Amino acid sequence: MEIKGEYRIEAPREKVFAALNDQDILKACIPGCESLEKLSDTEMTAKVRLRIGPVSAAFGGKVTLSDIDPPNGYKISGEGQGGVAGFAKGGAVVRLTEDGGVTILAYDVDAQVGGKIAQVGARLITGTAKKLADQFFGKFAEKVGAPPPTPVEAA
Amino acid sequence: MYDFAYHHPKTLAEALAALKDKPEARPVSGGMTLIPTLKMRLSKPSDLVDLNGIKELTGIKVEGNGVTIGGMTRHADVASSADVKKTIPALAQLAALIGDPAVRNRGTIGGSVANADPAADYPAAVVALDATITTTEGKHKADDFFKGLFETALKDGELITAVSFPKPEKAGYEKFRNPASRYAMVGVFVAKTAGGVRVAVTGAGPSVFRVKAMEDALSKNFSSDAIKDIKIPADGLNSDIHGSAEYRAHLVTVMARRAVDQANK
Repeated sequence: MEIKGEYRIEAPREKVFAALNDQDILKACIPGCESLEKLSDTEMTAKVRLRIGPVSAAFGGKVTLSDIDPPNGYKISGEGQGGVAGFAKGGAVVRLTEDGGVTILAYDVDAQVGGKIAQVGARLITGTAKKLADQFFGKFAEKVGAPPPTPVEAA
Repeated sequence: MYDFAYHHPKTLAEALAALKDKPEARPVSGGMTLIPTLKMRLSKPSDLVDLNGIKELTGIKVEGNGVTIGGMTRHADVASSADVKKTIPALAQLAALIGDPAVRNRGTIGGSVANADPAADYPAAVVALDATITTTEGKHKADDFFKGLFETALKDGELITAVSFPKPEKAGYEKFRNPASRYAMVGVFVAKTAGGVRVAVTGAGPSVFRVKAMEDALSKNFSSDAIKDIKIPADGLNSDIHGSAEYRAHLVTVMARRAVDQANK
């Protein structure tokens, strides 16, 4: 499944790109992130606990940054094992463009879920992935931009 | 199932005490969603606080200008209530369409509303009838209650004690049921209320939503023909193996027209 969205961030593109590489900011923005540890400049291990409706699962896994093209964007990918619940993996291609002094952040998420969580929650996976993407980028835009940002479109 | 501590309070006060300061404790009403989740080990609560023994949470009262339904009232009791059938027949009809007989005899209105499943039926009635949700912390207006996918204005440890529905002038509910689960692929509740016409859609998006274009058209002319050309955008609607977002968008108009016809009967 693919999810796209766009945010306007009231900050210059260089600042937005730097923030996308700042592990403290990533930790604060990844929904349910309990810990994020740096392995290298582009690799981290993460522990994430998600609670969506009745389901609550803890995932442990890896976050990788690739296709780094400052200050135009990169790809952030994650994959995690949720034990008995199943696994989740996904990535977001993030593109930054300038519009006056403002940065337009466009994302394109691709996510896959497997195991038990996918069997019982098939009808909920797209909605959940969209909600998590919105939480991540919404919080990111809020932290990095000056005044509260507005989502330009939700697709 | 993982181990948990089981509590069986007899009063609301005991239930609140059992939930207090335990972030991983969960209340359970009918258990129609939570128990299957526990059986599949997709949730690991520290404590389960069973609300089934609390008598003060059950019952249906006709009050003032509407019906107040206790949070622990079963769907089957709403469906068969003479008071509900007389005051808001569409609400009794909605309850009769939820799930299967087992779900209707166990599931509760408070549980359904608190869970806020995107395909649950009750949220459509709550929003279309502009109901008030009474909790242990206060009152919530319907329009401010449902926040998103499985997300409501409820805080941890806050319990729904009752839902009050004002009597509408006319109302109708129609849904396209998933043939296996009976969940609403799309369900539309249309109500002509003192505050105007309200159209609420469940099953189509991540959470219940209103359709302003239909409300405006029906305010001028409360007939199904008035909305036959109103199409809602497929952007952001649910898409799964049962139906695409475009299909659900199409169903919204079809179900809304049927609901208006139902209301006019």
